[in-house]
Amino acid sequence: MKQTYLSTLLLVLLQAGGFAQEPLFAEQPLGKLYRQVKPQVMLEDQEGFIWVGTDRGLFRYDGRQYELFAMPDSLCNNEVTALYENEAGQLWAGFSDGRVFHEQRAGQFVMWTLEEGLPVAPITGLGEGADGQIWMATYGEGLYVHNGRHLYNLNTDDGLPGNDLYTLHVDDAGRAWVGTDGGISICSMQGQSKNIENITTADGLPDEIVRVIQPDGKGRYWIGTYGQGVVRYDPQSASFHTLAEDWPESPVNTILEVSHQEVWVGTDGDGLFRYRFAEERLQPVQHAALGNGKIQDLHFDAEGNLWALHRSEGIYKANRRFELVAETLPHIQAVLQQQDGSLWVGTQEGLFRYDDTRRSFTMVKPENVISLHEGRDGHLYVGTFGNGLYCMDLENGREKHLTAADGLANGSVLDISEQGDTIWLATLGGVYSLRCGFERPGSISAVLQHFDQKSAVGTNFIYTVFPDSKGRVWFGTDGEGLSVLENGKLRNYVQADSVPIQAVYSIAEDQRGHIWFSTARQGVFSFDGEHFTQLSVKEGLRDQVVTSLITDADGHILIAHSSGLDILDPVSRHIIYFDEEAGLQGLDPNLNAVAKGQNRQLWLGWEDRLMRYTALDDTLAIHPRVVIKEVSVFLESVRQKSPATFGASDNNLVFEYVGLWYTSPEKVRYRYKLEGFDLDWIQSGDERAIYSNLPPGSYTFNVSATENESFDQAPIASYAFTIRLPIWRQWWFVLLLLLSVIGLAYLWLRQRDKQKEREALLLREKVESQYEALKSQINPHFLFNSFNTLITIIEENPDLGVVYVEKLSDFYRSILQYREQQLIGLEEELRLVQDYIFLLQQRFGEHLQLQVEVDKPARYYVAPLALQMLVENAVKHNVISRSKPLYISIRVEGNAILVRNNRQAKLTKAPSTGFGLQNIITRYRLLSEQEVQVAQTDHTFEVALPALQNGRSS
Amino acid sequence: MNSIFDMENTTEKIKRGITALLLLLITAVLPAQHYLAEEGKVYFKSDAPLELIEARSTAMRAIIDADKRTFAFSVPISSFEGFNSPLQRVHFNENYLESDRYPAATFSGKIIEKVNFTAPGTYTVRAKGKLTVHGIEQERIIKSELTVSGAALTVRAAFTVLLDEHDITIPKIVYQKIAEEIEVEVEAVFTPE
Repeated sequence: MKQTYLSTLLLVLLQAGGFAQEPLFAEQPLGKLYRQVKPQVMLEDQEGFIWVGTDRGLFRYDGRQYELFAMPDSLCNNEVTALYENEAGQLWAGFSDGRVFHEQRAGQFVMWTLEEGLPVAPITGLGEGADGQIWMATYGEGLYVHNGRHLYNLNTDDGLPGNDLYTLHVDDAGRAWVGTDGGISICSMQGQSKNIENITTADGLPDEIVRVIQPDGKGRYWIGTYGQGVVRYDPQSASFHTLAEDWPESPVNTILEVSHQEVWVGTDGDGLFRYRFAEERLQPVQHAALGNGKIQDLHFDAEGNLWALHRSEGIYKANRRFELVAETLPHIQAVLQQQDGSLWVGTQEGLFRYDDTRRSFTMVKPENVISLHEGRDGHLYVGTFGNGLYCMDLENGREKHLTAADGLANGSVLDISEQGDTIWLATLGGVYSLRCGFERPGSISAVLQHFDQKSAVGTNFIYTVFPDSKGRVWFGTDGEGLSVLENGKLRNYVQADSVPIQAVYSIAEDQRGHIWFSTARQGVFSFDGEHFTQLSVKEGLRDQVVTSLITDADGHILIAHSSGLDILDPVSRHIIYFDEEAGLQGLDPNLNAVAKGQNRQLWLGWEDRLMRYTALDDTLAIHPRVVIKEVSVFLESVRQKSPATFGASDNNLVFEYVGLWYTSPEKVRYRYKLEGFDLDWIQSGDERAIYSNLPPGSYTFNVSATENESFDQAPIASYAFTIRLPIWRQWWFVLLLLLSVIGLAYLWLRQRDKQKEREALLLREKVESQYEALKSQINPHFLFNSFNTLITIIEENPDLGVVYVEKLSDFYRSILQYREQQLIGLEEELRLVQDYIFLLQQRFGEHLQLQVEVDKPARYYVAPLALQMLVENAVKHNVISRSKPLYISIRVEGNAILVRNNRQAKLTKAPSTGFGLQNIITRYRLLSEQEVQVAQTDHTFEVALPALQNGRSS
Repeated sequence: MNSIFDMENTTEKIKRGITALLLLLITAVLPAQHYLAEEGKVYFKSDAPLELIEARSTAMRAIIDADKRTFAFSVPISSFEGFNSPLQRVHFNENYLESDRYPAATFSGKIIEKVNFTAPGTYTVRAKGKLTVHGIEQERIIKSELTVSGAALTVRAAFTVLLDEHDITIPKIVYQKIAEEIEVEVEAVFTPE
C-alpha cells in the first residue's frame, strides 16, 4: 500500500514538472581587455560568424577569439543596440546615439549618410522591407523608413501609440511590427501613404508595453511584454495565447524558439527561462550566471548551440542537444523513462527514481540493477546483476521476482527487451524469452525459449538482445559474435566484413532497417541484410570500444564510448564528435545504460552522470563552415573578389581562413590545396596558407575544415585567381614583337632589293653611257672632222699637229679609263672636257668658247663623261659660226654644276637619239636624291647636275 | 468688394494665403511662445550638365511654435530672382512651377528633437513635415541647424527637391539644362512675437 501511495505521489509530482537538467552553458569570454564589456545583441551572419554588439563596440567571434570592428567615426559612442544583416550579406549596426553604420565590403563599415540626418535616439531595430525599404526603430523618435530616396518618420503624430519602440520585426510582406508602450503597431508605407495598424489591450493583448516581437516560423508571433510575460499572437484568428500563467513579473527582453520544442525567454532581471511545449511549464534556468539578472539576447546557431547574452555576466553558449541532470548517482548501469515521464535509474547500489521537485534520486529497491525495461503492459522490468528479474506493477503495487526457481539458469539479467507479447532477456545464462503477467496467480511467468551455449549461440554470456522491426531478434554475445533468430532459425556470425567479431555489446536499427552493432574492440558494424560494413577509427570513429548504440528520433545513431559521444548519420556515415561540450569528458559509460525518452529525447548514463539528449529537428550544420577571411598580396589585403587577376609581380599571396565550429572550435583542422600549384592537399592546424613566388597561371585556392579529422564531404571555400604573364610573355606582346621583327626584316630586304636594283640599273646605265660615249667617239663624223682638222694643222703647224694627236689620244684614253667608274672627280672630268674642247677649237676656232668657273673642282664629283656629253650635245645641236659663236659655261652654283650654252639651233637638226641627256638624268637619279634640272629658254639651254661631294650625293 | 478682389494681383494673393496660414497656426498655438521670420532667404541651385541655374528669394515668411515644436515656412514662387536670363525666370514661373496656380512653396510640420529655445547654442534638429511645391505635398524630414542667440533664432537648412516628386516636368530639349535634383538652402532669422 505504501509503495502504491509513494508511486502515485511521485507520478503526480513528475507529471507536474520536467527535470532540472539544463544545457551546459559555458562562458565565451571576450578576453581580458574587455572584461567590463556589456553584451547587448547577437547576430549570426550568412557566412557563420557570430557578431556581438556591446556597449564598447561591435565584435566578431569565430569560436576562438573576438575581433573588435571599429566604426570609422570616432564620435560614435560605440554602444551597439541593433544588428541586422541584409540579404546581400551586408551587416548593419545601430547605436544608442542614433547612428547607423553598414558594411561597405567585408569588415569595412561606413556611416549611413542621409540628407535627412540620422536619429538621435537609440536604434532598437533595423530591418529590410519590400522594394529595398529600410526600417529603423528608435527609442524616442518612433519608426523610420527609408525608401531609397527619402527618410520618413512614423511617430505618435501619425498614429503610433508611442515613440519609444522596443523592438522591430519586418514580416514577409515587408511590414514593420513594432512594440511600443501602447501595444503592437504594424506599419507599412506605400509611396507617401503611411499605414499603421495597432493591436492594443482592447484586442486582447495582456500588457500595453510590448518589448519583444518574434515570429515563431508558423505565421504566429511570440510577444514579450513588460509585466505579463510571453504570449503567442495568431494574426489569422487575431487571438492571444498565454505561454505561462505564472509569470514572475520581470520584463521580457528576448524570446527564442528552438526546434519547435521549446521557447527560451530572457528577462530583464530574473534571468533565463525555458518553456517546453511538451511539458507545458515555465522553468527558470538554474545556471549560476544565467539564473538571474538581465538576459539581453538569445540566439540559436546553425550547429544547434544556444547562446545567451547576460548584461553583466557575459556571453554564454551551450549545445542544446545535451543536458545533464545536476544530481549525480554513482555507477549508473541502466536508465529508463516511462511513458508517463517517470525517470528510473539502475546503479550498482539500487534502483532509483528521480524526484524532480526535490531534485534528488530516491532509492526504490536496493539491488544491483543492470537493466530496465517498461513493458507494453506498463509494468517495470528490473534486471539485476545476480538476483534475477523483477516485474513491478506500479499502479497496483504488485511485484514479481523471477529467479532460478522460475527457470532462470543465471540471475544476471544484462538486457531486457520486448517483441509482441514476449519479453526477451539477455543473461549470463543465455537468452530467455518469456511472458510475464499477474493475471494467472501462481504461474505469472513462463519461459518460452532458452538459447545457451548448447545452441547455435555458442555461449551463455549474452550482453544484449534486440528485437528489430522485421520480427528478427538479435543477440549480442561475449566471444561468439552476433546471433539472429529469424523465423525460428538461429544463425550466428563470428565474422563481419572479414573481421572476427567476438563481443557484441550493443545493437541498434536505423530508419532503413539496417542493423548496427558495436563490438568490444572492432568498433561498429552495419548489416544491410547481406553485407557487413565496418566503421572503425579509420572511418572516423573515435574509439573502437563502443559500449552503447542508440538511434535518435531523426535516425542518427549515437555511439557511446569512453572518449565521448559520436553522432553518426547512418546514410552519409558522417560523424560528429561531442565530449567536453556535452559534459562527457573523461567519463566511462557502462554497457547499454541508454534509453529512449519522450519528445525526441534519449537518456544516457555515463558513470555518475545522467544526460538527456534531444534530437533537434532543425537542419543543423554538420561541418564547420569554412570562410576565407582575407587574401593578401605582399601582406596587403586584396579587395578583389574571386575570381581575381593579379599582375605578374603580385605573386606572394597569403590566405587567411577560418573553420567556424562553435560546438568545439578547438577540434577544427584544415586542409588546403592551391589548384594549379599543389599536387596534394596540405593538412594544417593553421588558419593561414602562404604562397610565395607563384609563377604566372590560373589558380584556385581551396580550403576545407573538419571537426572530426575526416574531410569527406567537408564543404570547400574557394578563391580563384590568375597571375598574369609578365609583359614579355603576353601573347599580344610576343605577337607584336614577332610582327615588328618580320616588318623590319621585310623593310631591310626591300631596301636591299632596291639597292640591288639601283646598282643593276646604274650598271646598265653605265654600260649604255659607255656605249653611247664610245659610239659618239668613234662617230665617223667626229673622227672625220678630227682627221680633217689634223690634216690642216699638220700642214700649217706640224708641232700643233703633234699636240692635237696627243690630245686626241688623251681624250680617248680618258674615256676608256673613266667609263668603268661610277664617279669621277670634277677635276678629271674638266680636264677631259678641256681636251675635248681643245680638239673642237682647232676646228671652230674662236667661235667655240668654254668658260669654266669652278672654285675647288677637287671637292666635287660627277658621273663620268656627263659634262663631256653635255658639251658634245651643245656642239652637236647648235650653230657655231663667226656671227654666232657658241659659249659654253661650266660653273658650280650652290648644289648644282651648271652647264649652260646659248641656244642657236641648227636649221637642219643633227640626228639625235636624245639618249645622251636622258642617260645623264637616269644615272644621276641613281646617284643622287636631286634631279638633274634642264632649263631651256629661247636663247639659253642649261643643265644643272647635282653637285656630288665625297663621291656621294651631297 | 468684388472689384477689389478682381484687382488683387498674384503677390497679394500669396501674401493673403501666407497670412491666413500663419494666422491659423497662431490661433492654434496662441498661448504659446512663438517666433516669426519675415525676410527669410531661400536659395536654390539647379546644377545640370549644361547649365547652372541659381535663384534666390528673401521673401520667405515662417513661424515656429517653441512649445509645440511646430513650424510653418512659406515662400512665394514669384519672389525668386536671379536666373540666367529674364526669360528663364518667366519659364520658371509659368512653365515649371506654375506660380499662378501654385503661388507658394511651403513646409510645415513638427521638429522631431526636443529643443530648449531659451538656452543659447547651436542645435542640429530635424524638421518633419509636409513640403508643398508646385501644389504637390511630400512628407519630408529636413535636417536644420538651429542657433539660439539671445531672443533670436536662426535656422539654416539645406536639402534637395526632386522634380519628379513634385510633378515638375521638364521638356526634353531643356532636359540637360535643368537638374533632376534641385539643391535648396534656407536661412531665416526669427524673433519672438
